[in-house]
Amino acid sequence: MNLITGFQFLLAAGDAEGGHHEASPMAQFYGLMVLIAIVALVTFLFLGSAKKGLNTKFFSKTTTKLLEQLYVFIEGLAIGIIGPHGKKYIPMMMTFWLVIFVSNLVALLIHASPTSDIAFNLGMALIAVGYVQYEGMRSNGVVGHFSHFAGPKLPIAMAVFITPMIFLIEIVSETMKNVSLSLRLYGNIFGGGEAVVAMNKLGYNGDTFLLPVGDFLFPIKLLTCVVQALIFCLLFAVYLSLVTHHHEEGHDHESHGEAAPAH
Amino acid sequence: MAFIAVGAILVAIGAFIVNSKSLKSVEDGVMNAVGLHIDFGKLIATIGMFTALFKIVEYFFLNPLFDAIDGRTKELEHTFGEAESLRTEMTQLKTDYEKRLTETEANAREQIQAQIKEAQDLKKELMADAQRKAEEYKQQAIAEIESEKRKALTDLRVHVTNLSLQATEKLLTENVDNDRNRRIIDDFLATVEVKN
Repeated sequence: MNLITGFQFLLAAGDAEGGHHEASPMAQFYGLMVLIAIVALVTFLFLGSAKKGLNTKFFSKTTTKLLEQLYVFIEGLAIGIIGPHGKKYIPMMMTFWLVIFVSNLVALLIHASPTSDIAFNLGMALIAVGYVQYEGMRSNGVVGHFSHFAGPKLPIAMAVFITPMIFLIEIVSETMKNVSLSLRLYGNIFGGGEAVVAMNKLGYNGDTFLLPVGDFLFPIKLLTCVVQALIFCLLFAVYLSLVTHHHEEGHDHESHGEAAPAH
Repeated sequence: MAFIAVGAILVAIGAFIVNSKSLKSVEDGVMNAVGLHIDFGKLIATIGMFTALFKIVEYFFLNPLFDAIDGRTKELEHTFGEAESLRTEMTQLKTDYEKRLTETEANAREQIQAQIKEAQDLKKELMADAQRKAEEYKQQAIAEIESEKRKALTDLRVHVTNLSLQATEKLLTENVDNDRNRRIIDDFLATVEVKN
């Protein structure tokens, strides 16, 4: 009975965004929580299996090798984009990657996923952008971080008019990063699911299901799973590099006995 | 633990917001206007879930992975270091061996040269000694030959003298002073030798 109720929650969460028939807000909430729990469970099972194969010699277990490959990939991404100090962001990037990828895989199997819910994606985006702002303030100081939003130093007559405008645009730009991160993921996963449903109707003559046309999109959707996880992590790394590279440059200049230039 | 607690609190707040009607007007008004329905409760709960999830994943799974990879890297570095050290040691040993080999070859060459020189000196010495001894033997032989020749001549002279005396004695059949006759004959023979 509980199992049936749980799946009703899942359907409620999935259908809530589709808008076919409105479930109660609480059912949608629990549906999302169950989906997140499924994603967390799959992630933990994978990570737990990988953890069993950890040693200091040679990783022979398949899941451990896969996790190592993911680590190497994310490490390359973090160090390549952010710089040598990007290593400390690897845990967060890996968690983002795993959660988004597993969520997208869940969407392939049960046609309902946390990443097809805009609230979930916006929540992740808020965490990502909030963390970027926190790191920016930690690296450059609160004043230093927000002074970046004011643009270059201008003569006083121009600064009076242009600097507030640039500041406003930068604030909007920073806010839009949330929208960019969340809507892209939501659009791809939810849109992909809807496209499958819509195309499947082409092979349905009203009584019998002739050909699941939409399910032929599976390879593309599988690619989308990887690409969307990659894009989220890539953008997160780019945002981090934008707010932390000044700090690192400053360190470099200081280490060479030069004063860091004003930004 | 603090992160997990914060996450749980945020999930509870999210559930409370979903259940309450206070934000419904904001959600319906703002989000529906742009065609998106964003549930603030789910949003807060998601942030809460992630806050906890990040720490759980990092603490229980990623940190052991990083430790294992770091450990493996250190072990590899250690192994490579040992291999490098062994290689350096082997190179050093090879250099020493080659040096010793060169020295040994030089020593052997030097000893061979010395032995050859010694042998040549010995040969020269032996040759000289042999020549000297041969010369000595030759001189000795010449001396002995000379001595034997003189002895033979003397014996011959005595014998001839005796024969002459015996012949003369028989011929003259008279008592002649034997010593005086011998001296006369010797003088005669000496004269004959000088003439010859």
